[in-house]
Amino acid sequence: MRLKTGVRLLVLPLAAATSAVPGSAHHSFAMFDNTRSVTLHGKVTAYQWTNPHSYLEIDAEDGKGGTKHYTMEMTSPNMLHRGGWSSRTVKPGDSVTAVMAPLRDGQPGGLLLELTLPNGTKMLPGVPNAQRYKVTS
Amino acid sequence: MRKALFLAAVMMASPASAADHPDFSGTWERYPPPGEKVDPRYAPTPIPDPPLKPEYKAEWQANQKKLQQRIEEGQPAGDNYVHCIPDGMPAMMMGMFPMEVFQRPEQINITQEAFTQVRRVYMNQTLPKWDEVDPSFYGASVGHWEGDTLVMETTGIKEDVRFRWTPHSGAMKITERMRLLAPDILSDQITVEDSYLEKPWVYSYSFRRMKDYKLQEYVCEDNREYVSEDGSQHLRIDKK
Repeated sequence: MRLKTGVRLLVLPLAAATSAVPGSAHHSFAMFDNTRSVTLHGKVTAYQWTNPHSYLEIDAEDGKGGTKHYTMEMTSPNMLHRGGWSSRTVKPGDSVTAVMAPLRDGQPGGLLLELTLPNGTKMLPGVPNAQRYKVTS
Repeated sequence: MRKALFLAAVMMASPASAADHPDFSGTWERYPPPGEKVDPRYAPTPIPDPPLKPEYKAEWQANQKKLQQRIEEGQPAGDNYVHCIPDGMPAMMMGMFPMEVFQRPEQINITQEAFTQVRRVYMNQTLPKWDEVDPSFYGASVGHWEGDTLVMETTGIKEDVRFRWTPHSGAMKITERMRLLAPDILSDQITVEDSYLEKPWVYSYSFRRMKDYKLQEYVCEDNREYVSEDGSQHLRIDKK
């Protein structure tokens, strides 16, 4: 993994918290394509710390001088909290790089797999069975 | 004089008997956590299929088939969670997220971090008849001590509050025997009795004490996921 050691340590408690869900989780994440990823660079417009899931909204560079808005789903605040995130980890205006598993239905959004903060720290949002998501971008 | 002696005896007895009971107060997580080898002394009892009577079994099996297929396809299972609704009893005792026990001699509260579900168990009271309470998610619960074991009885669960898609009548009764297997290991043996079942449905969970963990708030305030008519799941995208 391309992660800093300090960040990698987050993986274990998150995985533990996540797979503690017996049987199927809150939902299956089946709406996200786990065979490929998309990497976005852009500015955060909203970071929503809510149950059942948190969301990160960004205006990503479209490569043509403009931006396109994306919505990325994350896990629940309590799981994020146990993994080292807080409601202040990112804020609107932050320039970030996000890796996501895109929505299968083609809408501009996905499941956040990894976030690089403005200071370069890579954060993992504790996706259940994260190893099943191919990072191809 | 006799009265005074009696009072003195009561006053001495109360704290002593309270101290006789183990204290379950604190925060607990399901044991064993994933990836950790279970100590066989503390292993929970696996959950068998519900021993439903034949007239209910066929539908349950058909639903299980559907459920299995959904899981294989990675589709939502149609549980309460998908709709942002708490599990209710007995499903909430699965302890998806940490659990907190607050213990007083007259009342024990069990709170699940997931959906901030709270059960209130009133000690040494009579279990109300199921048709005398308004059906609810957590039901009406009473408890008493049998030695080191806390026995909790629950009834009055809504018929559509189901564990593992198991149908039940309004008269379903849940009896739990909760005890410490070790100072930091709690066991909850659950027995479900109902006219829909051929025999009681019995299983158990184990929990391990968490050090210094504070339960977090869980309010399901923005569910953007929805299941379309074809059973597939979608996300409501913030249109901008």
